[in-house]
Amino acid sequence: MGVELRRLFDNAWLRIGGALLTLLLATALLGPWLSPHDPQAMTFVPLSPPDGSHWLGVNDAGMDLLAELLYGLRNTLSFGLVGGFSALALGVAVGLIAAWFGGAVDAVCMRLADVLLAIPLVMPLLLLAVLAPPSPLLLALLLALLSWPSTARGIRAQALSLRNRPHVAAARQMGGSASYILGKHLLPELAPLFLAGFAGKVRMALAMEASLAFLGLFEPGRKSLGQTLRDAIQYYYLDIWWHWLLPPLLCLSLLILSLTLLAVGCEARFDPRLKEG
Amino acid sequence: MWPTLTAYALAAGLLLVLSHALPRLLPGDFVSAHWQGGEVVLDADRAAALRERFGTAEILGGYLSALARGDWGRSLALDRPVLGLIGAALPWTLLLMGSAHLLSTIGGFLAGVEVAWRRGSSLEKGSVAAMSLLNGVPELVSGLLLLLLFALRLEWLPASGAQTAYAEFSGTAWLADLLRHLALPLLTLVLAYLPGNFLLARASMLLVISAPYLETARAKGLPPWRVRYRHGARNALLPLVTRFGLRFSLMVTGALVVETLFAYPGLGRLLVEAVAQRDLPLARGIILFSSLSVLALNLGVDLLYRCLDPRVNHGC
Repeated sequence: MGVELRRLFDNAWLRIGGALLTLLLATALLGPWLSPHDPQAMTFVPLSPPDGSHWLGVNDAGMDLLAELLYGLRNTLSFGLVGGFSALALGVAVGLIAAWFGGAVDAVCMRLADVLLAIPLVMPLLLLAVLAPPSPLLLALLLALLSWPSTARGIRAQALSLRNRPHVAAARQMGGSASYILGKHLLPELAPLFLAGFAGKVRMALAMEASLAFLGLFEPGRKSLGQTLRDAIQYYYLDIWWHWLLPPLLCLSLLILSLTLLAVGCEARFDPRLKEG
Repeated sequence: MWPTLTAYALAAGLLLVLSHALPRLLPGDFVSAHWQGGEVVLDADRAAALRERFGTAEILGGYLSALARGDWGRSLALDRPVLGLIGAALPWTLLLMGSAHLLSTIGGFLAGVEVAWRRGSSLEKGSVAAMSLLNGVPELVSGLLLLLLFALRLEWLPASGAQTAYAEFSGTAWLADLLRHLALPLLTLVLAYLPGNFLLARASMLLVISAPYLETARAKGLPPWRVRYRHGARNALLPLVTRFGLRFSLMVTGALVVETLFAYPGLGRLLVEAVAQRDLPLARGIILFSSLSVLALNLGVDLLYRCLDPRVNHGC
């Protein structure tokens, strides 16, 4: 295991991305203890610049901006992880099932994927948002429900080629059940493929969360990096860009950067075709 | 061919039914949602009059036939026909999105082909690393950075709108004003789309470069650009065409963000405002219109792809 892990992190992209993401994850996890004030307290002087007690100043509603940043990072990151993980799990499950059972099951799954790929993801979510601001968890799950097809296609293609390899054929001949072979052979062997996919999916989900919050789809009281950006841009004519606008922007950029590094690193590590290049 | 058409028809049907059913699944209607618990108290007559005015009690068949007749309802907040509002906003979105797509596809393709040709050089390694990092940066981040730098700090370019209000420019001054307003949103979108096109063009060109027929073309003594483009790049074009269609559905969010961020008067901004004001007919109209357009575009790309690559048909 130790050797495996060392080899995994040999790649410079992976190492930098992993370190960056670990740092951000730790900050998000420790947020409630690091935060100097209650993020919902509206008791400070609105729009005051940074000072000793408020390192990043105070927003227009009298809330401490450092606390807002820490809780926003927490919410954005957890939305990304939940949305990304469920999209990946759904995609892997559908891809494996389609490849294994073939025939009508395969046809239905892949047609469904075609339909979903052709519909703009955000539109059904927006239609929902006109009627009632959806809860973040519901939104993350809906996002997963709409964004699994790209993963499913990739997994299906790989699983189809694995299906006919001798060791899988041997397992079938010895009477291994579908769930046994899928879980014991296909799933572990395809793991590298969805590791890279996971970083990409999390990146997509958290960028989506920040964008949707920026567009005002969540209830305004919820902390999110996108919500802070949305509030800050209203006051662009004040000198707030460096302590109100820039910190959440920097956080979001670092999150995206770390996940991109991980995704690219994973691809370079596991895809032999790219390694030659 | 037919499975594809069926899938698209199903998707369009799904969208139409959803746009009719979703508002109905929730309790209450527009009138009770808007005036309930507010400072205004409605008596029964007023409530009935408002229901009459804003009512959407029709069944699915009536809804669909009204859509087909071009009666998309009236906006609640702006009190104008939905179709007229869409028509007014559409040219701006087409200008912005069309030019962004054109620039990023052509630019990404040419750069990808050239870089693949110089395989192993430091130019290739550097540009691939840079583009990989840029790929996936959401429009929200790049757009805000550009806005902050060029519009708010340096004040080189306007921060919002598509034209200077009340300026009444004509001729070249009008065009220059238009382009100045277009520059930042366009740059944001190109930054978002270019890296993907570049990486894909490079990858597919790398596959083509090792093919024997390129060796033949070179051995015939053809000039290098002819080998590169007539023989090589033409075959590397196909994945880019597929991507052109498939990426559309993911790009919509980015387009919404960019139009909102730069206050560009296109469909996206209209939609975001309609959502903020709970203007159901307008929001529903734009959602339906843009989803169906994206669907039609995807179908077009799909059919074009079949013309370009006859091999695809063998699969079906």
